[in-house]
This record gives sequence, C-alpha cells and structure tokens, in this order.
Amino acid sequence: MRLLRPTTSGSGRRPRDGPIVNRWALLAIPPIAFLVAFFLVPLVVVSLRSVTDFPKPTGDAFANYGRFFASSANIRVLSNTFWVAGLSTVVCLALGYPYAYLMNIVRPRVAGLLLIAVLLPFWSSLLVRTYAWEVILRDTGIINSFLLGARIIDEPIPLIRTTLGVMLGMSQILLPFMVLPIYTVMRRIDPEYTRAAANLGASPFAAFRRVFLPLSLPGVIAGSLLVFVLALGFYITPALLGSPKDTMISQFIASAVQQRLDWGIGSTMAVILMGLTFVVLFVASRFIRLRDAFGSLEEG
Amino acid sequence: MTSWRRLLPLVAAGTLLVAACGGGASPSPSSAPPASTAPGSETPSIEPVADVCSNPPKADGTTLTFSSYGGAYQEAQRKGWLEPYAALTGVTFQESEDSSNATIKAQVEGGQVTWDIVDVGNDFGLDAHADLLEPLDYTKIPKDEILDGFAGTYRVADITYGVVLGYNTEKTAGVPEGWADFFDTSKFPGKRGFWDYSAGGIFEFALLADGVAPADLYPLDLDRATAKLDTIKDDIVFWASGAESQDLLGKGEVAMAMIWNGRAYSAKHIDNKPVEIQWNGQIVTADYFVVPKGTPNKDAAMDFIAWASCKENNAAPSKYIPYGPTNKNATADPSTAADLSVSNINETSAYFDDAWVVENAQLLEDAYQEWKTR
Repeated sequence: MRLLRPTTSGSGRRPRDGPIVNRWALLAIPPIAFLVAFFLVPLVVVSLRSVTDFPKPTGDAFANYGRFFASSANIRVLSNTFWVAGLSTVVCLALGYPYAYLMNIVRPRVAGLLLIAVLLPFWSSLLVRTYAWEVILRDTGIINSFLLGARIIDEPIPLIRTTLGVMLGMSQILLPFMVLPIYTVMRRIDPEYTRAAANLGASPFAAFRRVFLPLSLPGVIAGSLLVFVLALGFYITPALLGSPKDTMISQFIASAVQQRLDWGIGSTMAVILMGLTFVVLFVASRFIRLRDAFGSLEEG
Repeated sequence: MTSWRRLLPLVAAGTLLVAACGGGASPSPSSAPPASTAPGSETPSIEPVADVCSNPPKADGTTLTFSSYGGAYQEAQRKGWLEPYAALTGVTFQESEDSSNATIKAQVEGGQVTWDIVDVGNDFGLDAHADLLEPLDYTKIPKDEILDGFAGTYRVADITYGVVLGYNTEKTAGVPEGWADFFDTSKFPGKRGFWDYSAGGIFEFALLADGVAPADLYPLDLDRATAKLDTIKDDIVFWASGAESQDLLGKGEVAMAMIWNGRAYSAKHIDNKPVEIQWNGQIVTADYFVVPKGTPNKDAAMDFIAWASCKENNAAPSKYIPYGPTNKNATADPSTAADLSVSNINETSAYFDDAWVVENAQLLEDAYQEWKTR
C-alpha cells in the first residue's frame, strides 16, 4: 500500500477519495492560525524561557529545572496537584454518571431541565462561585452559624480550609465537563440493547453492567480526561477553600511570575506541569483509544 | 499516537496574558525644568523647589498613564493628586487600576510601555529592577525632604502605611500588646490571619514575637521564624488580598490578623466592625512611584512625581484614606492623622530591609513554602 501512495508532498495526503484539496478545509485556517498565534507560539516562548531566563547568570541551561527539583516543597505540591486533580475526577464521576444516567431515562422535558440545572453554574464566574462557597463554608459562614445557633454543635465544624472544601468547590465547577460527554454517549446507546439483554434473561443490573456500562465507557473516559486536565490548572479555588496542604502548582507559578518576577522558574514549572500532563495522556492512550472517546462526541 | 495529539488544545498550560492597552500617549513637550541646583546638594535652594510645588510646568496635550491599585486607595490618589495636578498643568491622566510588577516587566521587555507613573509595593523598584525602570530625576524631586530610606535611585515613596496587628474585639478578650500575644493562642484563643506571601512580613512578625529586636531582624533567621510559626500553624488562615483580610477580621473568622492599617481602618469605620489596631510592632513601609523604562513621557512623569512629593501636596490623599505622607515636612490631614502609620511610630516599630528581601526572594520563598506545605 505504502508504495502505491503518491510521493509528492502536500496534496498527497488523501489519495483515495474526493478532490485533492477539500475547500471546506480552508475554513480551518483561521482557527489554526489563532491556535498557532495564541497557543503554540506562547508555548514555545515559555519553553525557551525555562532554559534561557535565569535570575543569576549560569552556564547550565537546565539550572531552572535543577532549582525546581532542589526544593522539596515543589515536588510535594506537584504531586499534590495530581492527587487533587485525580480526586476531583473521581468525585465528578461519582456524581456525574448517575446524573447523566438520570437525564437519559427521564422524559425529554425533564432531561432539558436537568441539563439547564447542570449548565446553570456556567452563567456566573468561577471567582464568584468560589467566594460563595467561602461564605457558605467558613467558621462564621451560613452552615456553621446555623448549626451553632441551633445548638447542634458547640464548635464550628471544619468545612473550609479542608480537602472537603476544595472538592466541593472544584467538583461544582467541573461537573458539567463530566456530565455532558457521558450524557452524549448514553443518548447514542440504542435502548433495544438493554431490552434485548432483559429478553434473554438478564437481570436489570446485569443488563446495565454487561451491556449499558461498557457502551457508555467512551463518555466516561472523555469526561474524566477533560475534568482531570482542567483540574490540574486550578488556582483560586484551592487557595480560598483549601488548607496549605491542598496547595497546587499553579499557585506557585502565579507567585513566581507576579511577585518574584522570576519568569524563568515560572516557565519551568509550567513546562513541567504540561510535560507531566502529556505523560498522563500518553499513558491513557496506551490503554484506551482517545479517538473513540472524543470521536463519539463529534458524532453525537 | 495521533489521537492524543488531538487533545492539544485542551491542555491549557499557564499562559502569560500581557495586557497591552494602547494608550494614545503623545511625547511630552520638553518641559523646561526650573533652574535646577546640582543633584545632591545638601542645601537645596528654596526657589526651584517652591516653583515645582506651586507652579509645575504646563503640559497641555500631554497624557500621562497613572497605574495604581484601584478602589478607595486610587480614588484618594485621584482626588488628592491627579485632579489638582491636571487642573494646574493641563495634563490629562489616563488611569489603570491593576498595578503589577509583572505588567511593568512585560511592557518593558516587550517594548510597549504604556504606563508612565506606577504605584508599586515595597518589593519593587530596587537596584535589582534597574533594567525595568528609569532613574528618578532628583534635580526635581526633593529627596532631602523624603523620610530617610524611602527615596532610592528608581523609586520614591508616595504614601506610607503600616503592616499592623489588627484584632476583632468581640473575638479577643482583652488587648493584645504585640506579636508575642498574637502567637499566644492559649491566652488569646482564636484563628490568626496572615498574608500568604513570603516577603510580606510573616517571618518578621514571627521573629518579633520570639523576642528579636526590630533593629536586629535582618538577615532574617528563617529557621527560628518557621519554628515560631509552627507553634500556631493549625490556627493560621492565609489571606491573598487586602479585601479578604478586611472581611476575615471584620466578620471574626479570625480573632487577629496581620493587616494593612488602611484595611483595619475600613473594617472599623466603613464596615462598622469591632476591629482595633495594636500599633506596637508595626512595620512601617510604603508604596512607591516608579517610572517604567522607555516611556515617552519620562520628563512629564518626573514633573508629576516631583510635585506630588512636595510638602504642600504630598499628604493630600490622607484626607481620604489613612495612608500617610512621605515628605518629612508635610502635614497630614487632621481627620486621619491619628490613624496613620507615621503618627504611631515608637520603639517597637520595625522597617523592612527591602533590598535584602528582594535579593533573597528565592530563599524566603523556598523556606516559606517548605514550612507552609509541610
């Protein structure tokens, strides 16, 4: 096959079907130009900065990486970042899957309402929602004031400045990114399959577990990856709702860039975070076909 | 292999957004400076200074971009300085409310300097930032009249303030006398607020609490400071912005907080919350005017800074906010005089060694994060 392909460059990409250049493809030029200008170029600049920008002159191009790994706090916070992102993904999945399942089995009108409910948080800013959580969760906040006032508790229960607080804040923001891909995939599962399983004698649970669940997995994977990758970059929410132990690497990046003007180390942290994210996606791609996960979204 | 590459757009890494707002700033007409004496002369002749102060050079058609921190603070600067100066000279001020050292760096490195005068914190404007700033013109600015240590090559203090111990009187039984009491949670139970910044004063206050004399703070003994901080670590609430500190202390979420005196003042007088200041052990510090390197309006910017530094004009914002003058001969507005940092200096007051702190920023940050995230 390979030998039969035209060897000329450029137009030889699609040898079999249709015109050599699909004119509709021209529509992709503006978004591609946008991505190159505002994503790829800054990415290259940041990467270069990590090996060229040093607070004190040095002959070692990887001095910033040396500085990063020399601090145990950096390593701790980096691993914590992945831990918090993973935990958010699990929490979102635990909440999002049943929610999407419910949306899938109720009447379309109700499903529409459920959809609005899950999208509603998008209408206010992340910052406003995080401050709202702060007002609800803190020691002098709504929940503790009520419980103290009702004499149910004597001391405020620790809700804010805990991992629980971070999970509440983050999962509320990230939940739509889990629900929507799962729901999209579930909608495409033919109800006849589960009915057929039931006809063949499967219990409702067995029909779900052996037929419906596997078919919905691409949505689960897509949602989980979206949530995980988005969670890695969280900054305000863990800072306001979490304890120092919930510190995430983005807070370090912001402090390096804004307060210490050490853009070299800030870039280095960004590159390390991005590199590790790619590693995670790469490993994931060994076990699952991401094309299936996200392809299902496009077709749905 | 190709499948994961399709995810590229989703993987948003930290991207530096550089706000490059196009300011229609025209080059300033070269304003003839009043016959200046030699820089650094110990007896400045009275005539040129008086001229700059009462009759600054006319600059019709010049637009100066003034960047500060917004809110009530910038409003005080606007009413105290910008509006009268504009009326005197014909300068038009364009304002930005998001002063940031990082933005100055981005503007200068990108060759797109749109800010002419920037109000910055005490961690900026030192020799370490020489690449980013214009040296100030002390033939115009009355350096001898500025508080000792508050006028440097690249910066001159425009307002003084105190980093103080604020306490909520409903959550604190009695009066904490200083930082030792702040760290004594058995005598004064309750949570403590600290600014979440390694160079903001947290180490200094821990050392003061541990008995270090204000004059002996530097070089900071970081091991001793973190050991002291460990004694109250579980009771610490970190705040990230002035508004947050005002809210935490006012609502009583924390019993005491390290707080900027203007924020404690606002909690008490604007929000009507039970908040008081213990001035003992305050760190007296300042915000500074700097001029980003390469601004086309350098001379006009210097004229404004010189005018705002004069004793007649320097204290004007104190009419609106309890932040004080930096000119030794300026008289603060009577309405806030008692609430100013400079009015409450005593033998327990301390000062930042900004040069040391900036020089050792990485050391401080590593020690801080190592302690905080442990």
